[in-house]
Amino acid sequence: MEINAIALAANVYTPDTVLGISEALKVSITGVCVVMFELALIACFILLMAKIFKLANKNKKEEVKKPVEAPKPAGTPLAEGNSAGKLDLIDVDEPTAAVIMAIVSDQSGIPLNRLNFKSIKKLEDK
Amino acid sequence: MSIVDVFAGLWSSSGLSQLFTADGWKNLIMIIVALVFLFLAIHPKFRFEPLLLVPIAFGILLANMPSTGLMADPAGLMDEAQMVEGAHWYNDGVLRLIYAGVKSSIFPCLIFLGIGAMTDFGPLLANPISLLLGAAAQLGIYVAFMIAISIGKITGGAVSFTAGEAAAIGIIGGADGPTAILTASKLAPQLLAPIALAAYSYMALIPLIQPPIMKLLTTKKEREVEMKQLREVSKVEKIIFPVVVFIIVALLIPDAASLVGFLMLGNLFKECGVTERLSETAQNSLTNIVTIMLGTTVGATANGQDFIQVKTILIVILGLVAFSFSTAGGVILGKLLYLITGGKINPLIGSAGVSAVPMAARVSQVEGRKYNPKNFLLMHAMGPNVAGVIGSAVAAGFMLLMFNH
Repeated sequence: MEINAIALAANVYTPDTVLGISEALKVSITGVCVVMFELALIACFILLMAKIFKLANKNKKEEVKKPVEAPKPAGTPLAEGNSAGKLDLIDVDEPTAAVIMAIVSDQSGIPLNRLNFKSIKKLEDK
Repeated sequence: MSIVDVFAGLWSSSGLSQLFTADGWKNLIMIIVALVFLFLAIHPKFRFEPLLLVPIAFGILLANMPSTGLMADPAGLMDEAQMVEGAHWYNDGVLRLIYAGVKSSIFPCLIFLGIGAMTDFGPLLANPISLLLGAAAQLGIYVAFMIAISIGKITGGAVSFTAGEAAAIGIIGGADGPTAILTASKLAPQLLAPIALAAYSYMALIPLIQPPIMKLLTTKKEREVEMKQLREVSKVEKIIFPVVVFIIVALLIPDAASLVGFLMLGNLFKECGVTERLSETAQNSLTNIVTIMLGTTVGATANGQDFIQVKTILIVILGLVAFSFSTAGGVILGKLLYLITGGKINPLIGSAGVSAVPMAARVSQVEGRKYNPKNFLLMHAMGPNVAGVIGSAVAAGFMLLMFNH
């Protein structure tokens, strides 16, 4: 039997067929190849889609590019006495809030002066 | 008629007396198994997949109570060869009627709809190489298939599996309950109960099965690799993906269309942004309802008279082999990609290519952090994990294409 002709094979076997080891090996190898091929095809499609979107976004950005005020460089600390906004602490004390903000900054890799916390609320244990 | 005769008649027609007749002990063993499963599912110390194990265990209990007729099919509706002329569907046992949802593939497909609605394909879209890991982690399916076929030759035919049975057993290696159930219901309905139980049991045991294999196949240096942050995926990409994947899969392997179709429909509900109510229903109410019916009726197929046999033990062993080789397949390809990319890919994410979502990805994360506390592999492992869902559905579709005639 030509194992690469899946359609032909599909007409040959039934669930009750007793396969020989060599036939089973051929089925297995074909199966591995089919799964690999199909998922590789999907991977190629994703790569192509990502390229198209990247290109489209690039063109879009160039079109809407306007002279804007240069953003402050990352990591620039706020001037002394300036506030990054109001932070509501609900059932949380200040030292705990400071620790939470430090952890978020550390885990996300974003400096504290670029993060804006709105509120920190203690959740009830369920 | 004396009162003694009445009591004797009552005794002989009771389920209790039938437990102690010729093959009644088999039901008794299954009742004990059901009680053990219930214990493992409910006790706070274990809690093994309780959402599945409780209905499955209770289904086993229901089916093994003698003379209840819950899974009876006097009308022969489940088997065309045994169909009784003029019989009515309502003469069948209530569980047998619900079981039609398994037999007809309705339940596995609806579960896939729910899984699709719960799945975020973002990590996969951000790192498409994950798909190859998901494909490699289907290796166990084919290894178990080969071994199952070989058993007949080794034992001289004393115990043997047909092609359909071997294929259904192999699919346990996909680590995907609904896919294993669908394949078994089509190719080997007589082995559905042991296959489903093995698949779900091993999925629950993934945190125990995978780590030793991962450790055995990787070096400390490989396990410590930190992977760079994934790119942001746009909403449009997430909407296009399910539609195109379904078209590709259905055109190439039509037999996988039902599973992949429902998976992608559920995902489209989630991502398109205009069907929130449908997505919500698919994720919660629908999945819960179907899980109750699927779990109970799958458990109910484990009738002691058919379940207790040598083949069941072999299926349990082959299931473990399939799981182990699938894990190894993913890790080995992960190692290969580690070499090709110059150490940018941590091979531990390969093991998540088995499709048990999200347990397998969680194992990669936990193992990765053991060797490098700064390592966050979870999102990287989710890519192969969801790719494994597609991969196992494609592998099942291939097996159905080969043997379902």
